[in-house]
Amino acid sequence: MLTGVVFDIQPFAVHDGPGIRTQVFLKGCPLRCAWCCNPESHAAAPELRHHRARCHTCFQCAAACPSHAIEQGADGLPRIDRRACAQCATHACIDACPNDALAMCGTRMTPDEVVAAVLKDAAFYRNSGGGVTFSGGEPLAQPAFLEACLRGCREAGIATAVSTTGYTTPEVLDAIEPLVDLFLFDLKLADTAQHAFWTGVGNEPVFRSLATLASRCPEKLVLRLPLVPGATDAPQNLATLVDRLTELGLGAVQVAPYHGLGADKYADFGRAPPMSPPPPDAPAVRAATVALRRRIDAR
Amino acid sequence: MFDTFVPREVHGQPSSRRTDDLKQAYLQAPLMIDIEYLRRLTDSHRRTDGMEVLERRAEDHAFALEGLTPVIHPGERIVGHKTRFLRGAIPYANYAAGPFLREMRQQEQDAQQKHISLGEGGGVAHARTAAALGDFEVFSGKFLISRPELAELADLCEFWEDRCLMAVGDRLWKRDFPDAQSIENGWTVGLYTAPHEPCPEGRIVLDFRTALSRGYLAVIADLEARIADFRPGGPEGPDLHFWRAGVRVLRGALTFAARYAAEARRLAAVESAPVRRAELLQMAEACEHVPAHPPRNFREAVQSFWFTYVLGHLEGAHLGYSPGRLDQTLWPYYRDDPTATPAQAVELAEELFVKMTRIEYVASMSWQGLGHGNLYQNLILGGLTADGHPADNALSQAFLQAQINLQMTQPTLSVWWHPSLSDAFCRKAVECVKTGVGYPAFFNLETYLRHEARTTGLPLETLRENAAMGGCTEPTLEGMSYGVVQAGFVNHGKLLDLTMHDGLDPVTGVRMFEPTHPATYAEVVASFQAKMHHAVRSWQQYWNYVMLAHRQTVPLVFCSVFVRDCVGRGRCMDDGGAVNNRTPTTLSSGLVNVSNSLAAIRKVVFEDGACTLNELRDALSADWQGYESLRKRFVAAPKWGNDDDVADGVFLDLYDDYVTWCAGQRNYLGEPYDPSMLAISTPVPFGKACGAFPDGRRAGQPLADGVTSPFPGTDVHGPTAVIRSSSKVDHTRIRGGLLNLKFHPTAIEGDSGANNLLALIRTYFEGPGFHVQFNVVDSQMLRDAQAHPDRYRDLVVRVAGFSAYWVEMSKALQDQVIWRTEHAQC
Repeated sequence: MLTGVVFDIQPFAVHDGPGIRTQVFLKGCPLRCAWCCNPESHAAAPELRHHRARCHTCFQCAAACPSHAIEQGADGLPRIDRRACAQCATHACIDACPNDALAMCGTRMTPDEVVAAVLKDAAFYRNSGGGVTFSGGEPLAQPAFLEACLRGCREAGIATAVSTTGYTTPEVLDAIEPLVDLFLFDLKLADTAQHAFWTGVGNEPVFRSLATLASRCPEKLVLRLPLVPGATDAPQNLATLVDRLTELGLGAVQVAPYHGLGADKYADFGRAPPMSPPPPDAPAVRAATVALRRRIDAR
Repeated sequence: MFDTFVPREVHGQPSSRRTDDLKQAYLQAPLMIDIEYLRRLTDSHRRTDGMEVLERRAEDHAFALEGLTPVIHPGERIVGHKTRFLRGAIPYANYAAGPFLREMRQQEQDAQQKHISLGEGGGVAHARTAAALGDFEVFSGKFLISRPELAELADLCEFWEDRCLMAVGDRLWKRDFPDAQSIENGWTVGLYTAPHEPCPEGRIVLDFRTALSRGYLAVIADLEARIADFRPGGPEGPDLHFWRAGVRVLRGALTFAARYAAEARRLAAVESAPVRRAELLQMAEACEHVPAHPPRNFREAVQSFWFTYVLGHLEGAHLGYSPGRLDQTLWPYYRDDPTATPAQAVELAEELFVKMTRIEYVASMSWQGLGHGNLYQNLILGGLTADGHPADNALSQAFLQAQINLQMTQPTLSVWWHPSLSDAFCRKAVECVKTGVGYPAFFNLETYLRHEARTTGLPLETLRENAAMGGCTEPTLEGMSYGVVQAGFVNHGKLLDLTMHDGLDPVTGVRMFEPTHPATYAEVVASFQAKMHHAVRSWQQYWNYVMLAHRQTVPLVFCSVFVRDCVGRGRCMDDGGAVNNRTPTTLSSGLVNVSNSLAAIRKVVFEDGACTLNELRDALSADWQGYESLRKRFVAAPKWGNDDDVADGVFLDLYDDYVTWCAGQRNYLGEPYDPSMLAISTPVPFGKACGAFPDGRRAGQPLADGVTSPFPGTDVHGPTAVIRSSSKVDHTRIRGGLLNLKFHPTAIEGDSGANNLLALIRTYFEGPGFHVQFNVVDSQMLRDAQAHPDRYRDLVVRVAGFSAYWVEMSKALQDQVIWRTEHAQC
């Protein structure tokens, strides 16, 4: 049976697409953006999360673990040996924790289950012009699952949106595009070497996808740029991005300032955050927005 | 997306210098006790011994009205007030002298009081500062009273000690009511709110339309004609005394207005500023004309309304006494006045709002603590006209604008929602929500109409025209309903305590019920329901005694004259003169905790077999200490507010049982009790009185807020799931409903946010839900306000069926508001 891995379903999402929406977060992403605030979205498989802020260091988890994968770390908190952890189905450590500090991140679901969850709020979508938004991770990284989910929502009359990095193959895009009403498309860096440096992958597939959508259905595109100090906010990058967009006949870009709030989450997965620059202040965001608009208007 | 400090999107300013000054004067004023009314009332009562009860009541009240000092404060254009002070309360010792005497004798022994804390900031702080300077005493925790008046108040209270409503009531029920001991025990363990010290009345809207359109002189002429035509004819006929009392009290009311007219003329004569002098003369002319005659313009209509409103308010120790559909009452006068402008309407509305907020309430500490100074004066906008057209008009928007501009705690502003209301009005309502003031609350008119059509059988046109709100979340038919009601609350959380400990209160050790040794899930539920039935019936019967005592001591005469069809039937409200005599009985907070607990017991004890009932009882007695892993299983069980059919099903079964039981009981007038939902701030004191619960709640924590709001932290699927759960409740079976939602400002910002909020309301009401209200704040802001109360003097937050100034709320209540699940997007 076809299943996918979902790490969150958020009802009453009002910032990603029009109206009241349900946002479905698909786990797994081919990119590793240095500023990513969702480390739980990276790996494709379900994984154990240790909410360090909730931990009272009672080590009942360590006592319960059948693989002896938990011990006290240098910081006094439990340290999980991720290779020794069997990701066991019994979840003995999770059950043992009195403070809900341990949880599995990611659930295997069938498309029908996802559609059923989305449909619960159908009345809210109808009254607000909302719908469903598939986000991630990179939702296109689970193409068959995503396609089935989108088809199910469409058949139930639910408007669909996909929040994507655009990092995918032409075949996947061709299969998905007709099922999507709105693409929330993230742009980052115009230069592919820079893109590879900051996200771990080159940007050729991104711009290939963008070109496809721009020629086929520009009305479905909403472009967004994470404004990250020292990375995406360089004037040269903004200028080149606008050039590329102009070639494709595209205009407005929404600026989403980096907020750094996800940095603490990395440790919950036994990883270190790749970077944590100070978030841009309000004048910087305004300046970048104005700069983008000027350049676009100048064309 | 960005969890940083976000100011509220909308923050208004008073529309004029005048209303700004009025608001600032209010904010700076200490809370005062004014004994003038009580002194006059008592003087009269000493002389009227032997008079028939209604006529004596009218004589006493009218005599008091005729001697009240008319005070016109700087800048006021609408005059008339309950007391001489900017913020004043009348100690109604004729209702209950005991609490005041106890206060004065420093022996407040109310069982509830230990669970109540009062606010510290704002006007409360002013009162304490002034007291420290001498000449004044602090009274009842937050009021000031001058030393000579305090001594006089002691005398007055001693006069009333054996004569007041409370004493008369106590002599009735304490002697002959078989459940008297269980009522007293109920107070000891925190099963009930305080005794009838404050009042069993309020929750009423007078027939302002008749008062304005006919004028008092026409009503007096009507009464006199009926008196002339009266011939004695048996006990079922009209009561001549009521009509005579009505004439007396209306004449006293006209004197009250005339004294304001004279005061305005006196001030005009000594006023040096020509503009203000002209205003004062205009005000004098208005007070010489209304309420005796119908108003000649919009401003006189506002003055006439205000006189009737204050005169009704003066008659008793009301809570929930409300202005009703004021946008409808005043509309013909605004529409037909060529000089009336929207700006004038907004400014007059602002002045009215300051005036309503100035009315203070003094009673026992426990009742004050429950209300946090709020009198639940509900002004409801929108709705439908009698023939079914949307009723919102320019005044509806002016009232919303006034609240946006001023952000006062009163009136409690509400909207009768209907899909046909204009888009402009709905958007203005959302703009008001965005100020964070907590108003307006939204009520689904169709749901209420169906309830009333089912229970009263009145024509749809009558219901549409008169549907209003009397109190915080309780609908009533304005100008035609009995306003003397069961005012107390039953603590369902305590009933759960008593169920879990088989009749013994775990906190005080008092045995309330004989043990029944439930052994199955069904027996646990049955045990709870049997206790609930007993507690509710005893409580209702207790209040029926109180209503009998009310008839004997403080029947409402003035208010009855303006409630249909008291005059026509020749009977006051206390004798069944109103058209609608069904009275609400309240389901308050706690049922969510009960249903969550029962659902958890079913899952963990009877399905999983993880522990026995006895082990669970031990864990609860230990407040879960040492039972953490067991507690986790109970916490993980299904909870109300997540659209989980199992958890919601338990709630719905309890609700069904409650509603059916209540509707089978009779009130003082022999009519069925009408189940309603109302919580005010009971979740905090009720929770404080309760031990640990099987839903994982620890001892002393507040109960779930509101009536259908989830327990904080247990609604993990967002506001839409809360709404889906709440939609499963058949609100047409009950008069009222209560659902609080709290939003981070970013969740509803901009036009799209307004659209989403309206879509949320529309979807809930299609459900069909009944009531929803919103808090728009972020918890960082509230924590900052706790740390720096001086910077948040005017911060108003929604507590339950009302809003309160943040700085005047107790720390515990502040904590609860912060603690409520914040449905923010981060």
